[in-house]
Amino acid sequence: MKQSVNTPPRWAERFFRWYCNDYLAEAALGDFIELYQRRLARMSKQRADLLFVWNVMTFLQPFAIRKRSVTPTYPIAMLQNNIKIAWRSMLRQKMYTAIKIGGFALGLATCMIIALYVRHELTYDQHYAAKDRIYRLYNEYRGDKLEAWTSFPASAAKILKSDYPEVEQSGRLIPYEWYDAGKNLVRRDDQTENTYEEGFAYADQSLLDILEVPMVYGNAMHALDKPNTLVISRKMSDKYFPGEDPTGRTLILDDDPKKAYSIGGVMENFPATSHLEFDFLISLAEVEFWPGEQDSWCCWNYNVYTRLKPGADAKALEEKLLTMRDTHYVRYLEEQNDQSASDVRKNHLFRMQAITDIQLHSTGVYDIVPRGDIRYIWLFSAIACFILLLACINFINLSTARSANRAKEVGLRKVVGSLRGYLVRQFLTESILYSIVSFILAVGMVLLALPYFSLLAGKALTVPWTAWWLVPVLLGSALLVGVIAGLYPSFYLSSFRPIEVLKGTLRQGARSSGLRSAMVVFQFTTSIVLIIGTFIIYRQMSFILNARLGFDKEHMVMIHGANTLKDQKVFKDELLRLSAVKGVTTTSYLPIRGTMRDNNGFWVDGKQKTEKSIGAQNWTVDEDYLSTMGIKLVAGRNLDPKIASDSQAVVINQAMVKALNLKEPLGAHVASWARFTVVGVVEDFHFESMKEKIGPLCLRLNKGGAIMMVKVNSDDMQGAVHAITKTWNRFMPNQPFRYTFMDESYARMYDDVQRTGNIFATFAILAIIVACLGLFALSAFMAEQRTKEISIRLVLGASINSIFRLLTQNFLKLVGLSFVLAAPLAWYLMSAWLADYAYRTELSWDVFVLSGGIAVLIALFTVSFQSLRAALANPAQSLRSE
Amino acid sequence: MKGTYLGEFEELVLLTVGILFDDAYGLAIVDELDRQTGRNVMMSAVHKSLVRLEEKGYLASRMGGAAEERGGRAKRLYTLTAAGKRVLQDSRDMRNTMWKQVPKIVWEGGKA
Repeated sequence: MKQSVNTPPRWAERFFRWYCNDYLAEAALGDFIELYQRRLARMSKQRADLLFVWNVMTFLQPFAIRKRSVTPTYPIAMLQNNIKIAWRSMLRQKMYTAIKIGGFALGLATCMIIALYVRHELTYDQHYAAKDRIYRLYNEYRGDKLEAWTSFPASAAKILKSDYPEVEQSGRLIPYEWYDAGKNLVRRDDQTENTYEEGFAYADQSLLDILEVPMVYGNAMHALDKPNTLVISRKMSDKYFPGEDPTGRTLILDDDPKKAYSIGGVMENFPATSHLEFDFLISLAEVEFWPGEQDSWCCWNYNVYTRLKPGADAKALEEKLLTMRDTHYVRYLEEQNDQSASDVRKNHLFRMQAITDIQLHSTGVYDIVPRGDIRYIWLFSAIACFILLLACINFINLSTARSANRAKEVGLRKVVGSLRGYLVRQFLTESILYSIVSFILAVGMVLLALPYFSLLAGKALTVPWTAWWLVPVLLGSALLVGVIAGLYPSFYLSSFRPIEVLKGTLRQGARSSGLRSAMVVFQFTTSIVLIIGTFIIYRQMSFILNARLGFDKEHMVMIHGANTLKDQKVFKDELLRLSAVKGVTTTSYLPIRGTMRDNNGFWVDGKQKTEKSIGAQNWTVDEDYLSTMGIKLVAGRNLDPKIASDSQAVVINQAMVKALNLKEPLGAHVASWARFTVVGVVEDFHFESMKEKIGPLCLRLNKGGAIMMVKVNSDDMQGAVHAITKTWNRFMPNQPFRYTFMDESYARMYDDVQRTGNIFATFAILAIIVACLGLFALSAFMAEQRTKEISIRLVLGASINSIFRLLTQNFLKLVGLSFVLAAPLAWYLMSAWLADYAYRTELSWDVFVLSGGIAVLIALFTVSFQSLRAALANPAQSLRSE
Repeated sequence: MKGTYLGEFEELVLLTVGILFDDAYGLAIVDELDRQTGRNVMMSAVHKSLVRLEEKGYLASRMGGAAEERGGRAKRLYTLTAAGKRVLQDSRDMRNTMWKQVPKIVWEGGKA
């Protein structure tokens, strides 16, 4: 380097420029250098350097650091001027302004939406006055794998309140489909038309107290304390009793006069940020589902909520709950002579979860509604910061890339006496102006995108317009982001030396091109990972939808509410007479989520006392189940109601044969609460999510069920549904006909996969756009830097083709490098994601090639715009001025 | 003389600026002080005084005279203002008055 021959150490010079104020810096540094040159003539370079450093160090005094204004400035006037200049330079380069602001706004909008989402998730269950004292009980079983679930026996809540002085209040809830909880038909007792409603749950009066449910009508302390009463939400009150107080009126469920409930009160609708959401709460007062149910520890069907007394220690209470386990549950098991008593004593814990933790910290706790996950909150927050960072970096890149344009302006300003501080202020004003415009645009984008994103995330997100902090926070962030994004460009641009700039010898950018390339690689790596991720998620989705399930889901109509039919047999026969209907079966158990499940412990008969049971589904079906559903029998025979002994017969699946280790399954005896004979074995079919291995399952004969499955034998589903509707209306004129197609219900089970896929696709598109903006800026910068070189090449006879190649190949190398980095990363991440699924698609190379190809194409497209423009430019234009 | 106290070093700097007339900048002042007084002054001391004197209004400055050996950097050139000239004049007048009041005998080697 030539500079080291007769110039002082750069670092000292830089240090000096850093601390010294603008007023003195130029002149004093000039003095130092003049002295230094003089010294060089007399002494060694080392000595001169040392003395130079000494000069710099001794200058480090308050007078040199302190800012001073020598010429009077008019801040307002300067600001006006700065804004005017910024505005003009924005207008002069319309395309760059659009890219800069558009890209920035896009990043900001993404960030804002994610912030809204995160805020929504974090405010779950924060609205109770006593939120720090409200807990939900849950079970934890530390067996082979950790299991946790929330259901408890009926008496647990009562025991909790009577035996533990810390407990102020305890209440029970049955939130899932069970007896009248779940979904029902509803009508007023003075009307005949039934309406289908969801959102029924059983609850104790004390639960209203614990959850601090605000009442619209009725007394909050007594609304549910009488048997056969209901509390309905404001929404339902407005629907069934518009404009009146329905307290004391009667609603009839399922068109059954025995299920008449009088309304004890009307509650406010549950807030969107509550982990519970019900429209009908049915009183549990004096309810006993079967004799002895309320005091037995056999059956666990209740969720228990509790409010502790102020100052009570939840951790200590958890310890004490072990005595409840031992005195009630373990004793019950011992009375039953159940072998698992000692195992329970060792591994089964009763635990408490703060109500504020339910939404985000319930991972691993089996719950009826899927909860959020704090890890996703972290992930999304990280993505938000990351996108904001990328947007800022692109902003910086675009600003510095256009520096050649501004260099002359900077030079001229310095010549006529502008100080560095003014220039810094000017460029900062400019970037803050950009930032504010971007923020306004971003808020617009958020408003447009929010409905779509709400759908994507399955949440009702709103902008909190009325919050007092909204405007200050937005304005503050606009300023902050503007300053952060503008800091580097403004210092960079203001550092140009006027002489060099105006002589035209400035070769800026060379030293930061490495950084820029790194940015491009970084952005494209992210993009490619996201593209690969999107492909694989969609592939898994299509794998799930097209997998061989072991049953037919096409051409199947599910008729809901079949339990309300007076005579199912007649209706079924009537359906079978329709030409479009191939088969009908009635059951409540289907391989679709949201239908009934019944898990029981099973043993090979005779081993009850010596072995641990296996958990198996116990489904009651009719004789047409297998044929209608298309489930294949691999051994034995179907259940047959004509054979009397078949009331104690079961058909089991292959997984159960394996789990029970049955050598000769046909004729074997299995036992649960009763003893059954195996008469047939069916092929395994997927009755739970693809995430889990197919578990053991047995089918038993029984009449009745809530769903009638109709197999249609033609492609004309519309016509078939029409015919079925007509039949239904003949039987049940006052009851709406509800049906779904089984394939759609099946697809809905995997909404979360679809959702993840959509979110990934959205992020992938955003990342690609952001990355392309960066690449575009870089290619524009390069093309501009090499304008003269290209012109000369063209004059000397280079073809447009070769120029194009010259300008694009470097970028393609960068994208190639990104792919090399992204492929293993994506492979690792997506293997981890797929590992959640017991049944999954393969990670194949074509996805990677396709994603890489897409990235290269997009990059090529972005770069070629600038390259072609440079290659097609008339060389005379750029060389003329020489 | 109220409120316009001029330190000894400051007075020297002011005088040097006067001597150098059109080319009074940091390094030149250091050189001139060296030549005139034989003192080896620090660059920072000179600049510090210059800044203070300008603040007091005795000096005015402008940028100019960039040169190759300065790495292309301009000098800050100082000139005496009217106030600067007056304060030098005042200082000299005061001294003269005081000189005159010293009895001749002091100078002529008489015993005290």
